[in-house]
Amino acid sequence: MSNPSKVTKAEDDTQGRASVAGARKPGATFEPRIVAFLCKWCSSAGSDLAGVSRIQYSANATPITIPCSGSVSPMYILSAFNKGADGVLISGCHPGDCHYMEGNYLARRKLYLVKELLQFIGLESERFRMSWVSAAEGAKFAEVVDEFVEDLRVLGPQNRLKAKR
Amino acid sequence: MEKILNQEKLREWVDMLDDCEVYAPAFADSVWNFARIEAGTDIDLSHTNTIGSVKEFVFPQREVFFRFEKKDGVPVLTPTLPDPKPTVVFGVRPCDGRGMPRNDTVFNKEFVDPYYWARRDKLTLIGLACNLPHSPNCFCQSVGGSPHSEDGLDVLMTDLGDRFHVKGITVKGVEAMERGRDAFDAVRDGDQAEVEKVHDTSRSFPQRPLGNLDAIPEAIRENFDSPLWADMAQHCIGCGICTFLCPTCHCFDINDEVISPTTGEGERVRTWDNCQFPDFTMHTSGHNPRADLGSRLRQRVSHKFLYFVENHKTQQCTGCGRCITECPVGIDIVAVLERVSQ
Amino acid sequence: MVNVEEIRDYAANLLKKGEVKSVLGFRRGSASAFAEPCTITDVGEATSLVWDPTCLNNLTLYLVKDRKQQAAAKNPDNRPVGIVAKGCDSRAIGVLLQENYFKREDVVVIGVSCEGTGVVDPRKLSAKLKGRTASRVTFGGADGINVSVYGDETETVIPAREILADRCLECRAAVPALNDVVFGEAVGAREFDEPFHAAKEAESLSADERWATWEHHFDRCLRCFACRAVCPMCYCPECVVDSTTFVVTLGTSAEEKANRIRWCERSANTSESAVYHLTRTIHLAGRCIDCGECERVCPVNIPLRLLNTKLEKEAFEMFEYQAGHDIEQASLLSSFRDEDPNSFIR
Repeated sequence: MSNPSKVTKAEDDTQGRASVAGARKPGATFEPRIVAFLCKWCSSAGSDLAGVSRIQYSANATPITIPCSGSVSPMYILSAFNKGADGVLISGCHPGDCHYMEGNYLARRKLYLVKELLQFIGLESERFRMSWVSAAEGAKFAEVVDEFVEDLRVLGPQNRLKAKR
Repeated sequence: MEKILNQEKLREWVDMLDDCEVYAPAFADSVWNFARIEAGTDIDLSHTNTIGSVKEFVFPQREVFFRFEKKDGVPVLTPTLPDPKPTVVFGVRPCDGRGMPRNDTVFNKEFVDPYYWARRDKLTLIGLACNLPHSPNCFCQSVGGSPHSEDGLDVLMTDLGDRFHVKGITVKGVEAMERGRDAFDAVRDGDQAEVEKVHDTSRSFPQRPLGNLDAIPEAIRENFDSPLWADMAQHCIGCGICTFLCPTCHCFDINDEVISPTTGEGERVRTWDNCQFPDFTMHTSGHNPRADLGSRLRQRVSHKFLYFVENHKTQQCTGCGRCITECPVGIDIVAVLERVSQ
Repeated sequence: MVNVEEIRDYAANLLKKGEVKSVLGFRRGSASAFAEPCTITDVGEATSLVWDPTCLNNLTLYLVKDRKQQAAAKNPDNRPVGIVAKGCDSRAIGVLLQENYFKREDVVVIGVSCEGTGVVDPRKLSAKLKGRTASRVTFGGADGINVSVYGDETETVIPAREILADRCLECRAAVPALNDVVFGEAVGAREFDEPFHAAKEAESLSADERWATWEHHFDRCLRCFACRAVCPMCYCPECVVDSTTFVVTLGTSAEEKANRIRWCERSANTSESAVYHLTRTIHLAGRCIDCGECERVCPVNIPLRLLNTKLEKEAFEMFEYQAGHDIEQASLLSSFRDEDPNSFIR
């Protein structure tokens, strides 16, 4: 699926650069970097649970705790892609469970539009993902991240919206 | 050096400039603009005027001054002086050509700008005389130019229907012509007369008049505090079209684009700026001396027809008419000067 | 046919009775064959008003500008403003009312029906004339639109289908629904094209093809910000791409300057221009009424309208939302329904 020459070129280009943190060893297979915006009331705690439960999962996601998935500005997503993220994950509370009653419903609508727009201009649709993960779903969080990493590995590095300097 | 080039030989000449980057007007996205020409492709010189001016070749919208990073806590700077291939631009209209000496003055007078000159020294401009004014907003003759002005051009071509009359003006221009030697024919009897006739006709078309150029600076000075400016800028939207498309507007901004705050890695870049934007004159204190659009219109017009005249004894406007034609709300610098002069 | 004299009389009457402080309309300008915006304050000036397919601008922008000016003025003049508005323009007024930017009594809407035609698209005209300038553009009756070209005064008739703005070809509401008076017949739209047809066409391409298109366009962007400057919905006092409120004092350290939030750089790069345009598109979601001004003013002809209509299409199809049609409804992004799409979320 991915173009091998493209992958090699992009890897050279990102050697030694760490504007978005993520595991990256020279010569290793492509390790995608994910920026994960996690709601503090659910997914952030879910990721902690995955950790304390000693669930093995990919270390490619840089978590950023946010007050609510509804607080995610589309700017965060665009900015993450601009700074070189290979994927962006937004994770919030299941419908009906929002600490602020309706933040996740507002997020769902807003981020649906962001997803459609990113796809429309030609960003690979797999690069932007949303999930509902509660504080009790450590295993689901690990699964979401693992799946995302696998899909991004196939796609290779994100070069479309990344700043080229 | 004067030569004749048959229309079908144009491509031959372009092909012989194979170690240069060649640009020519192309009609794409419903607009004429300069585009890179690959060897073996035809160029179309039936263009009106390009939307972007030739200043882009010497004063690109983004110029990297140097790269910086922190190594062992010490800042390290890497110079990035451009070293472009020789560049030849075809189809430059005389108004754009006349913009060049004005830009040269700006980037040469108090400070010799190495980035500008690195590109300028490698640039050859091949002009094309306008047999017809391409827009009703042309006013080159009203600011001292002409539809076949040689000022700032290295070569001037004149379209004679089936062939071009080609005149080498500068050393660079003559060199470019010598490269395409076999493509050219000698000038024959009658060619010169024909060129003169075409030039005379091109000058006879009516253009937008500016009246007495010498009286304009005083008129602007007298009207500095006039409510006219606010009135004329009433519908201005404050975008950057007029200045970005102008062949002589050269204001810029310098920013540090930091890639990584941890490694202190980044670039210092020069980008176009313009007097119509709110942050152009913004002070660090938050005070903005040109807070309203009227004062910004005044600035644009004054810079071109008053301050530049005071500093460099010539107008900083070559009458290309882009700012008039492309203004989304019909602000017309000729009409503005007319009102100010009354 | 709209009788322009009726518009002039109505405007003059509003000014004479003192019901408005000014009337926003169109007049002939010196810059081109297209009409230019004007603000008339004297009864006598009403005779300069015109109405034809060259009245491109969405004058709603000047209602916003007036609000901003009055808010900053020492002695604000808050009398109502009259405005000549097409169907699309009246929807822009609708969105501004919905957002409480001003009140209904602050504006007198002089509605003008496009009567099943619309306005000319300067880009299509330029493509027809290969960059040459039109010196006169007038209605040519049912046949289309008469165009004379500068330097060649013969008049040619171009079929309206080929030269009208895309939004006019797709328009289904050419009569201003929000109005104080309407001139012209309530002729339905021409329905040349299906609404959102350009967006649907673009969707049918592959991701690689779509990116090739947009990379090309983002790369060409000059960042003159005309699209933002002309948009009546872009009324933020400070845009994310400007930094007019980052105050630097003697105590501001180099680190603070380097680390200040800059969502995108000034450089006109593909990546930075993408951030700018995508941010603008998202910010207009559910607010863009498709007046097409952003696309019209773009000097390098980036098809900006396509980005906005894509989101309006989603708003309509997924959320049954149409911007500017109902000033009482909650805005697109401040409301939700249980049945909103959820399957894209894991």
